[in-house]
Amino acid sequence: MRPTLAVLAVVLAVAAGCSAPGSGKEESGNDSGPIKIAVVDAQSGQLSSLGAWELKGARLAVDEWNAAGGVNGRQIQLDVFDDQGDPTIGTNLARKIDSEGYIAMIGTAESAVTIAMSPLLKQAEIPNITSGQSPGLVATKSDFLFLNGPTSTTYDETLAKHIVDQQGIKSIAMITNNGGYGKGEHDAFLKALTSRNVTPVADQVVTADQKDFSAVLTSIRQKNPKVIFLGAEEVESGLIVKQARDLGITSAFAGAAPQGTPVFLDTAGAKNAEGTIVSSPYLSNDIDEASKKFAAAYKAKFNEEAELHGAKAYDGTQILLTALKTSNVATGKPLADAIRATKHDGLLGDFAFDETGVGIFSTSIGIIKGGKLVAAES
Amino acid sequence: MQVFLQTIVGGVSLGAVYALVALGFSLVYRTMGLVNFAHGNVVTVGAYLASTFYLSTKLPFALAMIIAIVVTGAIGLVIERVLRPLENKDFDLMLIGTIGFGIVLDALIIMIWGATGRAVPSPVPTAPIDIFGLRIRTYDLVVLAIAALATVLLVLFLSRTKRGTAMQAVAMDHEAATAVGIHVGRSNATAFMIGAGLAALAGGLVGPLLYVSPALGGALGIKGFAAAILGGFGSIPGAILGGLAIGILDSFTAGHFQGYSELVTFLVFTVIIMVRPTGIFGERTVNRA
Amino acid sequence: MKRLLVVAALGVAAWFLPYGLDSYAIHVVNVILIFAILAIGLGLVMGIAGQVNLSQVAFFGVGAYATAILTTHSGMGFWVAGVLAILATVLMGLVIGTPALRVQSHYLGIVTLGLALAFTNWVTNASLSGGAEGISGITAPTLPGVDLSSEYIYYYLELIVFAVVLGFGLFVVRTALGRRMRAMRDDALAAGALGAEVPMLRMTAFMLASVYGGVAGVLYAGLIRYVAPESFNIANMFLLLAMVIIGGRQSLIGCVVGAVSLALVRELLVDHPTIAQLAYGSVVVLVVVFAPTGLAGLPRRFRAYLDHRRGTRGTAAQLRPFQPYEPEAVSRSTQDQLLRVEGVTKQFRGLKALDDVSLTVSTGEIRGIVGPNGSGKTTLFNVISGLYKPTSGRVIFRGADMTGRAPYRLARAGMARTFQNLRLFGDLTVEENLLVALDRWSTLSAWRYALRPLSVLRRDRALRRSAAEVLERYGLTEFASLAPKSLPYGIQRRVEIARAVAADPALLLLDEPAAGLNGEEVRQLAEIVRSIRDSGRTVIIIEHNMGLVMSLCEQITVLAGGRVIASGTPAEVAVEPAVIEAYLGDSMNTDDLPVPSAGEATR
Repeated sequence: MRPTLAVLAVVLAVAAGCSAPGSGKEESGNDSGPIKIAVVDAQSGQLSSLGAWELKGARLAVDEWNAAGGVNGRQIQLDVFDDQGDPTIGTNLARKIDSEGYIAMIGTAESAVTIAMSPLLKQAEIPNITSGQSPGLVATKSDFLFLNGPTSTTYDETLAKHIVDQQGIKSIAMITNNGGYGKGEHDAFLKALTSRNVTPVADQVVTADQKDFSAVLTSIRQKNPKVIFLGAEEVESGLIVKQARDLGITSAFAGAAPQGTPVFLDTAGAKNAEGTIVSSPYLSNDIDEASKKFAAAYKAKFNEEAELHGAKAYDGTQILLTALKTSNVATGKPLADAIRATKHDGLLGDFAFDETGVGIFSTSIGIIKGGKLVAAES
Repeated sequence: MQVFLQTIVGGVSLGAVYALVALGFSLVYRTMGLVNFAHGNVVTVGAYLASTFYLSTKLPFALAMIIAIVVTGAIGLVIERVLRPLENKDFDLMLIGTIGFGIVLDALIIMIWGATGRAVPSPVPTAPIDIFGLRIRTYDLVVLAIAALATVLLVLFLSRTKRGTAMQAVAMDHEAATAVGIHVGRSNATAFMIGAGLAALAGGLVGPLLYVSPALGGALGIKGFAAAILGGFGSIPGAILGGLAIGILDSFTAGHFQGYSELVTFLVFTVIIMVRPTGIFGERTVNRA
Repeated sequence: MKRLLVVAALGVAAWFLPYGLDSYAIHVVNVILIFAILAIGLGLVMGIAGQVNLSQVAFFGVGAYATAILTTHSGMGFWVAGVLAILATVLMGLVIGTPALRVQSHYLGIVTLGLALAFTNWVTNASLSGGAEGISGITAPTLPGVDLSSEYIYYYLELIVFAVVLGFGLFVVRTALGRRMRAMRDDALAAGALGAEVPMLRMTAFMLASVYGGVAGVLYAGLIRYVAPESFNIANMFLLLAMVIIGGRQSLIGCVVGAVSLALVRELLVDHPTIAQLAYGSVVVLVVVFAPTGLAGLPRRFRAYLDHRRGTRGTAAQLRPFQPYEPEAVSRSTQDQLLRVEGVTKQFRGLKALDDVSLTVSTGEIRGIVGPNGSGKTTLFNVISGLYKPTSGRVIFRGADMTGRAPYRLARAGMARTFQNLRLFGDLTVEENLLVALDRWSTLSAWRYALRPLSVLRRDRALRRSAAEVLERYGLTEFASLAPKSLPYGIQRRVEIARAVAADPALLLLDEPAAGLNGEEVRQLAEIVRSIRDSGRTVIIIEHNMGLVMSLCEQITVLAGGRVIASGTPAEVAVEPAVIEAYLGDSMNTDDLPVPSAGEATR
């Protein structure tokens, strides 16, 4: 009885000492110690391949800067956080990187997670360079959110321009999934077609973990389209292509970033994927000198071929570090403004951010030929 | 019409795999009254093992499958051994125990093979057969044939061998079987081993059809379980029929309801189970007195 | 007093907790509290009511999504939206609970899992729910003068809600409704035979779980202010399940402890989710095998272990003599028919267990039903008490046709029974076993829990007084707080009879009450049965002990091969040639006492 009362008294006394909880917050971004940057991405779960690629791209950029003496003589500390592809965990991590004093964030690769984190990061004034491409990112209207690549709108506008305007193909079918990525692609590509007065001959939606597409593909086969647009992740797109060829569909496929990846090629089989039209800001590792140099460094460091997502994260990190340098290691709003003002000649093209946080507005068209993605001739 | 038939063909090919999964569920359940919620994860393990031997060590596909089945059977033995103290005691606890095993297997799969998956090239690389515009993949036929063969072998084992008939006896009357000197523990272990082997068979076969990843087994497991219940839990012909039924149902809902297909599949399943809880071939009553 | 102090200390600690936490830690705590509320709900439906529910995470989702949709699309305030969201979740709870009326156990598991998947599928597709990208910008809750957008203040909101729902949960578990649910969990059949409306109870359990899911969902929406399908997936369902199992599903406190500790461990291993997954999966397996009662059950197991080590062998509780009832003054010459069975036939797949059986039992009679093994005696009881629906024929009880009515309806009409293999509620104490029978309240009146909690408490106190009387009368007072499983077989038999009579039946059905009893116990049994009859009840007794039947019963009905082959007074029946033939091989003496197998005796 008595000890309990004593404890109570002590606790009350302590409580009386401080007015309200939550006053102590570690502030970083001051003048000493390493600059703390967080990479938030799925390191486990199904989307972890994207997360792994991103981390490598960011790591490569940071290591290059650190080797050259860091920013203003301060080293850059890159720490990785695993969001497991779950928006709830994403929101946890947003608070975590805030309370632990990170001044900027790279990631995530999944738009839904980034959208969930965006209001918190905005409130905490932590600039975030994401690899997502959903138009929904732009819709969050956060001054602290930047995209390290084009949005779906750009990918699909370029694709539609190539297929409809240049090749004159009007007989187009669509298969998209109901996941975050598929939904964005569906809307963006349909919009691009509608603006050209083209109605797709079929508009089929599948679920994100569907395995058998015979019903959907058979009905498409009867329409006999020239091109089938795919709005689904690597593996599912690969399965669709494989099953389509088995059903005797000879149409060409078209899509955005996932259709240019090795995973897609493996799942579909190189022969089946032949002729697939891909809209991507980074077609291959030997487009120009910069990409060759990047690919060689990537290969040397990770013993792995570089690809689009690593390149995007590399570009994004370069932009962030450049902005840190030009702003003299600012944090919060000034850092965000510095990022917005940064003009960067990157692997994906010339970055120049607009109000919405998008910095690049063009992609190139590639074709899969002989199991490799090459630039289209037109 | 063509869409209709082609949809059935597509449904049957995955349905055969669901049937194999359902068979494993049913065999274990009828013998020891256990619902193995880790079965789906065992399917994934089987798929990874088969594809690992097939891809990395370049073994022939059939040989890789056999090794996978043996190794997975051993995993089945381990699960049975650990959960043995619960047998015939608390049904729900045992069920939760297998869910726990599922979580563990899932984590182990990610640790060993990574979180991302791998594509497995088809071991039968011939072109599909074309019958009046109806396309049937040769590999699908192989899958069907193997599933049928496995079923026949299982039925023969259960009816013709001493060990098999002992298992049948345990399935019918646990206590009477003990009384006539049948080693129930061994019988259960055999059931679990064969069940895991069937899961590996399903996983190995489905690998080249789909894409081997940690998430592979989850979907197959739930659909396979639903198939077993639909056919009548514990019934061998029921598992086969239930598997094909779920496969075809899935295929049609995917065609008709697009993104909402899963919602429709499970609603239909729920309604069927409520109308006829014992399934197509069910013999056991559900609310046992 | 001591417990009160612990609660007070915990309360104070919880109140001052935020002062020691940084902004991330407080967020983690807020999320943990939400999971704890979810776990309580799952504990109620799974641990207390025994319904396998793998859609708790869908309830959570409905609550969160409904709040999100109502605040962003319809522009409602957070609180109004929250209340509506909880109502929506209850609706969902009733939908998901419906299959429980037909199926149980793993069937229910797969159905609820399927429906949870269906829910995720729906929110992923519907434009109303924002598709795969979910809904952002949920309106923050507001209170005049309080800034709820601060996570520190939000913590207090959650803490208060948590305390309220935990208190309510404990209140339910420890009073009539929870007791009835636990009885149903242990033995749905026996609970039904004692008048518990099993279908209603199952729906109530799902409804309770959905309310907890809804509350958690609303709090989640207010805290995260963003919803997306991934947050309500199967992996999270299994995580929640692991929390409840590890903590101890039969104890709500255990569920909370499980939720908090698992969430903390996951937070510690946040950078190694696969290792965390491996760890909690293994712990689930270990708990299931070695400590089925979870963390909450550990103290008791530890104490039991210590007692065992010290060699203190249980308690020295003793069975006291039965105190006979006051004989009913009304003469029992009234000869009106209490029960009439008319031409009942029961067919099981080719086997005719009962073939055109008719019999009439008058008020105040002790009727014996005898016959060789497999002659259909227990089947007849099962038909009379509503467990089986007869293939043809009618059962008329107290002048009303009750054929094929649910057991609980018959029980409520004034019928009670015991079972051949003893069906006591294993995880309830002896006293609670009696309380379940004494409680004649309709489950529908569970609304009082929300609106008139004090009347529930008052009633519970009255019930306990009645239970004390029954315990006293049957000489069981010293066993009141013990688990029936720990008692000798003879005492368990007596508890079951006391329980059946506590239900205040007009007709008592006893199925082989003397099986496994010794000579002295059989004598006591005869005394008890006579006294029960003298108190104005009618008794039908199935028995193999012919000595008992002959001395106790006024009328005997003999069954063989599912047919009535003789009936009359003991003396008449004993000389009936058909009876002697049926019993050929079975000697008709008092030693004809089937020895129960070991398995039967312990069950």
